[in-house]
Amino acid sequence: MTPLPRSASTVIIGGGVQGLSAAFNLAEMGQTGIVVIDAGYWQGGASGRNGTLIRPGFASTAWTELFMLTVAEWKTWSKRLGENVMFTQRGYSVVSEKAASAAMLEEATAMQRDLGIRSRMLKSAEISDLLPAINRKRVLAVQHQEEGGVAPHHAALKGLRAYCEHRGVALHYRTKITGIEVTDGRASAVWIGDHRIDAGNILSCAGPDNPDMARLAGVEIDGFGMKIEAMALEPTRPLIKPAIALIDSLAYFHQTSRGEVVGGTEVPERPRMSLRVDVPVMAEMARIYLEMFPQLGPVRILRHWAGQLHASTDYAPLLGEHPARPGLWFSAGWSYGFAGAPAAGRLLAGAIGKGHIDSRMKPFALDRFQTTGPIIEKGIVLA
Amino acid sequence: MSATSVQPTIRWNGKSIAVTEGDSLAAALWRAGVTTFARSRKLHRPLAWTGAHAVGALAAVNGLPNTRLDQTPARAGTVVSMQNCWPGPGFDLLRLMQILPERLLYGGFEHGHLMPSSGLSYRLAERMMAYLAGVADTAPTGWEGAAIPGRDITVDHLIIGGGPEGIRAANAVAAAGLSVALVTRGRTPARFARNAGQEIPVLDPRVDLHKETEAFGGYRDGDLVLAAPVNGTGAAVVFRPGQITLATGRRSMPPVVRGNHLPGVFDAHAGLNLAAEHGVRLGRRVAVIGTGDEVALAARLRDLGHEVVHTGPAAGLDRIEGRARVRAIRVAGRRILCDTLVHAGPWRADPNLGFQLAAEGHYQLLDAALPVRVTRIGAATLAPEPIHIPAQPDKSALICPCMDVTLGELLSHIDAGEHDPEILKRLTSCGMGTCQGWPCWDSMLAVLAARTGTRPEDHARPSHRPPRRAITIAQAAGLAGLVEPDK
Ligand SMILES: Cc1cc2nc3c(=O)[nH]c(=O)nc-3n(C[C@H](O)[C@H](O)[C@H](O)COP(=O)(O)OP(=O)(O)OC[C@H]3O[C@@H](n4cnc5c(N)ncnc54)[C@H](O)[C@@H]3O)c2cc1C
Repeated sequence: MTPLPRSASTVIIGGGVQGLSAAFNLAEMGQTGIVVIDAGYWQGGASGRNGTLIRPGFASTAWTELFMLTVAEWKTWSKRLGENVMFTQRGYSVVSEKAASAAMLEEATAMQRDLGIRSRMLKSAEISDLLPAINRKRVLAVQHQEEGGVAPHHAALKGLRAYCEHRGVALHYRTKITGIEVTDGRASAVWIGDHRIDAGNILSCAGPDNPDMARLAGVEIDGFGMKIEAMALEPTRPLIKPAIALIDSLAYFHQTSRGEVVGGTEVPERPRMSLRVDVPVMAEMARIYLEMFPQLGPVRILRHWAGQLHASTDYAPLLGEHPARPGLWFSAGWSYGFAGAPAAGRLLAGAIGKGHIDSRMKPFALDRFQTTGPIIEKGIVLA
Repeated sequence: MSATSVQPTIRWNGKSIAVTEGDSLAAALWRAGVTTFARSRKLHRPLAWTGAHAVGALAAVNGLPNTRLDQTPARAGTVVSMQNCWPGPGFDLLRLMQILPERLLYGGFEHGHLMPSSGLSYRLAERMMAYLAGVADTAPTGWEGAAIPGRDITVDHLIIGGGPEGIRAANAVAAAGLSVALVTRGRTPARFARNAGQEIPVLDPRVDLHKETEAFGGYRDGDLVLAAPVNGTGAAVVFRPGQITLATGRRSMPPVVRGNHLPGVFDAHAGLNLAAEHGVRLGRRVAVIGTGDEVALAARLRDLGHEVVHTGPAAGLDRIEGRARVRAIRVAGRRILCDTLVHAGPWRADPNLGFQLAAEGHYQLLDAALPVRVTRIGAATLAPEPIHIPAQPDKSALICPCMDVTLGELLSHIDAGEHDPEILKRLTSCGMGTCQGWPCWDSMLAVLAARTGTRPEDHARPSHRPPRRAITIAQAAGLAGLVEPDK
């Protein structure tokens, strides 16, 4: 491994999809001397453990405008990275089982269409066409977003890593940031044990450890770490075409190009930082699959794993410079952070590299709870 | 037998095959001379049941895909068909894949540079890829989608593994007046020991025996252990044990040589299952290799009517030859004609349950000391035997038959400087198929160590995860509500 540098234009903490996307966008803008430091292994964070679902449309305009940008960016990644990230817009269906969520989806659809997204509420015959295997008895309404889809995380991260290495970004995995130095109120360097790296800017993309990174710099950031779990089923020939979110059952899944149905759900647990799995998620997810896609009944579960997130109190991302600690930036609070990485990387690179704060980033400012207030978003699969 | 009675039959790819009472589907097929049960996913190599990997023993049974032929009884009228073929098993165009150079498919179809990179053309390519990768269709729509209610069992002591050691341990607990459950995959306890011709202790009737059941998950430091009947339709069990004993024994590791996936290669468990339990002749000429047990195994196979043409150390094997089945082996430059190879070593204990019960981590699950309530006994306590990697390894040796990962593919990454097992796993998909890393990660670590001049135990294992296909959605759905979330 190459030795750690002593100074950097930007030190990025965390080499998950957020950190690598920011590094890629900064490098593409021409910045040199970028350093990415990650305590774990490449693909070891949530970025290598997620459901890989991507969609443009949500219930709030703030989320929707951010994720429209992200879908537009995803479409360009294979070309810009020089590697196939396998983004496929095979569609994303948000399924409602209750009147309240159906009404919410109707309203969101109108807003999304106004913004130019190809989303619509499916007619009964269309539901059968698109989702022939779904249990119609459980479905009240389906909102379908044609531009949504999936991108396998191993492909996206492979493309990002290859680009960064090629452009001279220094990537150091299994290397942990243990301190952040503050000079005259500004974050000015990071410490890795007794090694110091002087930093023009520091961008924390440390996932569940973002609150710890803030604390290392003597400040606080909203939110808490949480563990969520997912599982993969034994491969079968294609049964489920689009990506699917069950807005009332709090589950999301899709069938990969290897044939595995991959997805997860949420059960209320004591928040905990660990990669261990537990029984309730597996059982609950199986129950949901069986009710929604009865044909999955005899299919076997291959593996079940956990990943960790940094959830903000309104579940919306926290993007931008810390108001109390100039020089320390965050791409944090992500629960849809795989989908959101292309947009976040672009916007943060613009902010750090050119000082331009894009209007699509502003609503997600770290101090929104004291200024504009939390972002109310009802279209996410989280509670 | 009366004149009117006919021998029961099953159907294999449309052909009728006679079965003997008590046969598993694998036994019935092998007895009838069927040697290719399945095809590997990328290169469509012929595969059969080997014992070491489940993938060669998967077929569609009465329309249900991915059914294990070695675990399913051959009932009259059962319809079995080969998966992963197109348009069908009789005329299968996918077999042409075998002529592709292995290198072309390093990383799988998914990573391939052959793929168009975006837009509609990629979407079409992806659908094609998904069709080919999916192996078989899900069960027909008429399937009754009911959850199978799970069971919740509290015991003083849970013994996992029904070999002689497990039986003795269970008997001792029962004799002490405590409640004890014993979980074993076999149709009867101590199947392997029995097939090897050993004396078996009698199981105390007070022991709650769960046979044909796999314990696949340990949670909350062992507060919970999950198990499920291997048929996929029996009730899954949540055990809440006071003490846990892992009496899970050891398995023989497949040799890392060319041809190691070929039909006709068996580990000692599978070979003896067919030869002793089902009275099936494995082949005309049998070679036996091992790390010490090969002599006894060869004697046992001779007793069972086999002609053993070679008995020797596992590390002396250079390659296995054959196209659709073993035809010969090479040992120290000598070519020995044989159609069957049975290996008895190197022996290693399955690390999965122990890892699950012990491992913890924030950046990575790392193995640790077992919780105090968990003990290993018997063969599971013995040190793992080294896996021999030849000085000039053959690139076509398969490391992970489920995902069709060759030694050459692994080396392409190792030689490029990638020495982290978790990353090797992600780059190649090694261990992400049917067997979920056992035994292929042991082989992968042996290759990594040999290539980098390190020891296998110098490298952290990739995370062993539950339930490695031991439970179906219908079984797991029946556990919903049984276990309260940890609050
Ligand atoms: C089961 C699951 C399913 C999901 N499904 C989806 C989905 O379908 N769609 C979607 O958009 N999102 C999904 N997500 C969320 C998504 O995965 C995350 O929001 C996203 O990956 C966050 O990316 P990241 O780079 O910020 O975090 P991570 O990938 O977690 O990266 C953070 C990195 O920071 C490193 N780090 C931490 N502390 C330090 C330190 N002190 N020094 C150096 N490095 C450090 C860690 O090692 C880690 O690699 C899912 C997440 C999970 C767990």
